[in-house]
Amino acid sequence: MTENIKFTVNGNELEAKSGELLIEACEKSGIHIPRFCWHKRLDPVGMCRMCLVEVETPRGKALVPSCTTEITEDLVVDTESAVVTKAQEGILEFLLINHPLDCPVCDKAGECPLQDQTMAYGPGESRFVEEKRHFEKPIPISEIILLDRERCILCARCTRFSDEISGDPLIEFIQRGNKTEVNTFPDEPFRSYFSGNTVQICPVGALTSTSYRFKARPWDLKKVSSTCNCCSVGCSIELNTSQNKMLRILGEDNEFTNQGWLSDKGRYNFDYLHSENRVLNILSKEEDSFSKISISDATEMIKNKIAELDNPNIKFILGSSSTNEEYFVINEIANYLNKDKFLSKDSSNIYFGDDLLFEGYFGDQYSQAKLEDLDSSETIVVWAEDIKDNLPILYLRIKKAVKNGSKLIVFGHTNTAIAGLADFYFGKDIVSNKFELIRNPNEIEDLKNNIEGKKVTVITGKSTVFQKKESLDKLINYLNEKAELKVFNSFSKGNTFGALQNIDEVKGLNEFCNEFDTNAKNIVFTIGVNPVNSSYFSQKIKENLIASDFVISLDLFVNETTELADLILPTTSLGEKEGTVTNMEMRVMKQNKILPAPGSTLSEWEYLVSILNVLGENVNYKNEIEINNYLSEQYKNQEKVPTFDNLNKPSNLFGVLNKKDININIKDLKEDNFSLLMVRRLYGDSSTQINSPSISMLGAHKFIELNSTTAKKYGINSKVGNFIQGPNSILINIEINEYLPDDLVIAPINRRGFEDIDPSLDFNITEAKNREELNVN
Amino acid sequence: MTWDSKLIDRANQIIELYPQKRSALGPLLYLAQEKEGYIDDDSVVEISKLIGITEVQVRSVASFYTMYKQEPSGKYLISVCKSISCEINNSREVIESIKEFTGLANNETDVDNTFTFEEVECIGACGGAPAVQVNYETVEGMTPTKALELCKYLKEEVPKVIVADHLQDKFGGTKSFDWAIEDNSGTSSTAPGFQIIGTSEEN
Repeated sequence: MTENIKFTVNGNELEAKSGELLIEACEKSGIHIPRFCWHKRLDPVGMCRMCLVEVETPRGKALVPSCTTEITEDLVVDTESAVVTKAQEGILEFLLINHPLDCPVCDKAGECPLQDQTMAYGPGESRFVEEKRHFEKPIPISEIILLDRERCILCARCTRFSDEISGDPLIEFIQRGNKTEVNTFPDEPFRSYFSGNTVQICPVGALTSTSYRFKARPWDLKKVSSTCNCCSVGCSIELNTSQNKMLRILGEDNEFTNQGWLSDKGRYNFDYLHSENRVLNILSKEEDSFSKISISDATEMIKNKIAELDNPNIKFILGSSSTNEEYFVINEIANYLNKDKFLSKDSSNIYFGDDLLFEGYFGDQYSQAKLEDLDSSETIVVWAEDIKDNLPILYLRIKKAVKNGSKLIVFGHTNTAIAGLADFYFGKDIVSNKFELIRNPNEIEDLKNNIEGKKVTVITGKSTVFQKKESLDKLINYLNEKAELKVFNSFSKGNTFGALQNIDEVKGLNEFCNEFDTNAKNIVFTIGVNPVNSSYFSQKIKENLIASDFVISLDLFVNETTELADLILPTTSLGEKEGTVTNMEMRVMKQNKILPAPGSTLSEWEYLVSILNVLGENVNYKNEIEINNYLSEQYKNQEKVPTFDNLNKPSNLFGVLNKKDININIKDLKEDNFSLLMVRRLYGDSSTQINSPSISMLGAHKFIELNSTTAKKYGINSKVGNFIQGPNSILINIEINEYLPDDLVIAPINRRGFEDIDPSLDFNITEAKNREELNVN
Repeated sequence: MTWDSKLIDRANQIIELYPQKRSALGPLLYLAQEKEGYIDDDSVVEISKLIGITEVQVRSVASFYTMYKQEPSGKYLISVCKSISCEINNSREVIESIKEFTGLANNETDVDNTFTFEEVECIGACGGAPAVQVNYETVEGMTPTKALELCKYLKEEVPKVIVADHLQDKFGGTKSFDWAIEDNSGTSSTAPGFQIIGTSEEN
């Protein structure tokens, strides 16, 4: 397959790999062949016939579709002959028989392959005078996707994507011949975490997003490349704005990370930028209500508080949405404020807001994995939190690798969504309900046979806050010893790795709660994080924040955490700030600015630098570039330094890998008593999502999962019930999941209603009464 | 209607015949059609659960092939071939006479649900053209008069089981070739009678 062979296109001799598709090989040599159905990330299908070319065969010249023809030695191809031109004109005339040509009211117009290729290759006039097909328009095929069936040219890109790539084929061709249409099954909407990709690859305006429909014309859009921060995969994206409003986010084809795809959360989680609930002024709390103050008053207030409290403990709780540059400045200010306070090694006053963060597998003995390693792995082992919900594009990459022959071994009870893909699913016989390994890894035959002496990539992390690191150690050390191992630490939140790389030492929320001294004077900074919601430690943190003398929150919204603050410093978000982020493979990528900072918001680093200056520390970073230059100094002996300049070079557009020591200081929880497994779902009640109207409803669905034996124990037969703990009673959907062990119930931690549920306390589940009347969604 | 355990057992027996579950889709759709007279949404849900593909994938196949009915048919589904061999052997007149007797246009079902009439493409009986099927049991060498008699017979006698050989003896003409095997199993539904699927009936 690797050897190059020669072939001729339009009289020019070209080279390509044997077995490569003609359309792809021509594209690489700069010869564009028009197409609708062919997409380089999908299997060829030969549906649309637009890519017909003439090739010489032993029986004379013949028209063949170049998307299904593989290059052979000395193939002679003509892509521009009179016959080809006539074929292209004919195909387009046919494709337009039923296409409404409603370009003036169609969102796709201006970036529409059908429109563009009709202009370039079409006959100019149609001979068809018959009535076109009519359909009800548009029909919603999910909460976020609309379908105008009369525009569809039946290329099958969307249906193939949902089948081959995302593995949730909920849309298909219905009927045949002239009646063929794409549709869903009644009452089974196209609920996929990846549905937005079908809108992006639709070559006509048949599929549209509710969030973008009728919002703008492509030629009015301002565009910039950036990096998504919804999870730590770091997908390459293109931000599209018009009149200083973010209108849509598209996936860019980054070979190393997302390969063109995005999760719907990454794609649609942006309306919050323009939400009326967003905090646009610095707010200071006086007698339980917030009032606007100026930046100079705010910094002065902080300075006075620090002086007044006389050597207080100053702690920082961080979220995952800051840039590397911001983490760098956070580290500086944290060190500065702590410089007289602690001198021991455990002096860190920085706590990262992720329950599942643990010490991880870093250092010289563990080889860090890259996403591309998945493709060359003979076996992929997963024991981590739910990959599909928390690292959706990593799930697509695993699925792709499995399709290409990698074996998949899944441990534990959180990744049941990919159990169907797995060659071996190690559930209750191997992993206990407390997430301990019941058997020694080297005694598990199926594991042994598939990893010893093989190329293995492991994705590992805590499945629950209660899991002990020791249980993971057993597996990872065994794999590391016996296999050629690459490790992914599945810290899934946004720019976690950027924080880890740029902060001297990171602790967890448990440490925050344990070290918090209510008798001392405390000042707490929360930066882009809402630990009072969606965390096992929520209640304790809430108590601690209330007990603090002064709380400063840098955030976008008033939420469960920031409402406890004495001072809210409104910050900027995606597209409003420039910087770098680091993904789970330690790839540093650029986030670019395309929107002005709204109101009087500032970036986190601007606030922190102002505070440092007021406190008397002479820091004079004027912009992100200066910070970036300073932090890049530390990488200077590496192959490629992630400076803005470097990252803006075409060869580095998809990021540069870098190494840096990571220092996480997190101990296991002492208690491990839980019968409720609380997991983070892709959609939830984060303040960014509930303030994004186009996807806010996706995080409203409340449900629990259990197996049928457990359901019987609770006496549940219906699909609707009540989840009861103490004074809380939540109306829920009940989903039976037979992969789960007995007596384990899974509930979402980031859904409204579950915020007061404590997984370590008893609970009950009952059937809902009058279930006919109940309409849970 | 959802499937009872007996039908699910039958479905599972069919699924076992194939190396992959999803390959059993075709026969299972015939089971549904035998039961309901067409492929109803509940059957689609049952089949999708049994073979592990999504409902819309089942519906896609069921709506692609015209022998899977998307609406209830009458007791007797009369299909007349209008492809080339039958056309040049006068199938047009056969069609006309059936239309006249039943009063039905193409793809229509009469009010008392006795007949559904359809014009179809080649049914693989070119040698015995023109050919007609009653519930997918083929009669070859048809004439307009014989077609009338066939319709009358169905209307008056209301046979429970339709068997190709019987109809051929009574109403057929020249066969394409002698099949040599006596086939006494027919169908009592509008699903084709296949012994291996269990949709056939001994008369």
